[in-house]
Amino acid sequence: MQSGQRLVIIGMGGVGGPAAMLAKRLMPEVDVTIIREEERFIVR
Amino acid sequence: MVAGVATVDSITNPDKMFTDGGINVIIDRVTKADGDQKTVTLSDGREIPYDKLLLGTGASPAVIPIEGHDLEGVFTLRSAPDAEKIRNFLEERKAKKLVLIGAGFTNLEVATLLCETKPDHYDVTVIEILGYPLPLMVDSDMGAQVQEHLVEKGFTMKMDQRVAKILGQNGVVSGVELASGETIEADMVLLAVGVRQNLELAKDLGLELGKFGIKVNKFLETSVPDVMAAGDCVEKYNLVTKKPVAGQLRGPAVIQGRLAAKRLAGYEIEFPGVLNNSAVRLFDKYIGSVGLTEEEARREGLEILCTTVTSRSKHGMIPGVKPWTLKLIFDKASHKVIGGQIVSDSVAPVKEIDTINALILGEKTIPELTTLMCAGNPDCSSEPSLEPITICAEQALQKLRT
Repeated sequence: MQSGQRLVIIGMGGVGGPAAMLAKRLMPEVDVTIIREEERFIVR
Repeated sequence: MVAGVATVDSITNPDKMFTDGGINVIIDRVTKADGDQKTVTLSDGREIPYDKLLLGTGASPAVIPIEGHDLEGVFTLRSAPDAEKIRNFLEERKAKKLVLIGAGFTNLEVATLLCETKPDHYDVTVIEILGYPLPLMVDSDMGAQVQEHLVEKGFTMKMDQRVAKILGQNGVVSGVELASGETIEADMVLLAVGVRQNLELAKDLGLELGKFGIKVNKFLETSVPDVMAAGDCVEKYNLVTKKPVAGQLRGPAVIQGRLAAKRLAGYEIEFPGVLNNSAVRLFDKYIGSVGLTEEEARREGLEILCTTVTSRSKHGMIPGVKPWTLKLIFDKASHKVIGGQIVSDSVAPVKEIDTINALILGEKTIPELTTLMCAGNPDCSSEPSLEPITICAEQALQKLRT
């Protein structure tokens, strides 16, 4: 992805949380947004 | 959480962990996704534009459409809020008689933890349509060990039984009626009979779907440009059979999530497929499995060869030695190992399932397994002469000659 581009991730379970964290680490210049429906969802 | 062993805060990641890392977190429902406009719409009407979209919409527990499934006191378990509801119900109703529909690891693990935290309080009945517990993980010979242990721990095991309906009084669950006509009293029913993929947004986007979810290529890219998908909502491939499977476990979801991030950053790493590695502790038994079971392999039409060895967790002279059993499944034509199962009385050996996983990934054969050398120590492994992977392979080698 190019600098300034927007990554949107839907869901924050096994996929969303790890994907968002690694995407931001590998591409700090990319805008990462994660959207989830549940008040709390992620399980370590 | 259900048993009160962990709190919700201890098993959930705080949003701050993400926002401190520069990630925007939105808590809302996505009601619509548009692949042409490259936007998603939230429940308040707000549109969020994207350049790349990753769907990780997961799966929801399947509910069998039988009478009484919507009674108060009938639960499914998937997320932290589900666990909180079950915990609250158990405490408020002082529930004692628990009926589990489905003998998979979710139900059995929950019941184990409940019984350990309140010994002699719960009366647990397990109903399973197949003939033994953990039928998706192990074969009947290994499942028999599990069944025997659960019966020793006081569970009533109703295997090979179909549920006719869930009974209730004043809108609250009171029992379960089996197809045989037998009735079992229940203060609470836990339903775990599989899951269904959450595909509403995938359909909205017009993504190509398979029998088990969203179709993706080996880089997790969907049929619509700039839309990726991963985890439980995605159809996967069994690494041995090369056929589509659901593969709904947390391990593949996390690996796929991280793989999607790497793909977006320019890496070209393919997702290899799944082997459904899983492990569970039920009281004093630790059970692990990987690859095909003997029964799955036979259903696939493979001619197979199976060997089972019982070994020891430590060298024989060390105090605290416990037994563990390993079963390996080999493809008779190629001699490759294609599956493994472990039932152990101590925790360390169950992780050898990951060794079997690596051996399947490496397409190792019976002769090659006979020369496997494992780390050995009197206090933390079987004696080298009792290392069960090599002994299973040696037995398979002998079977090939006969």
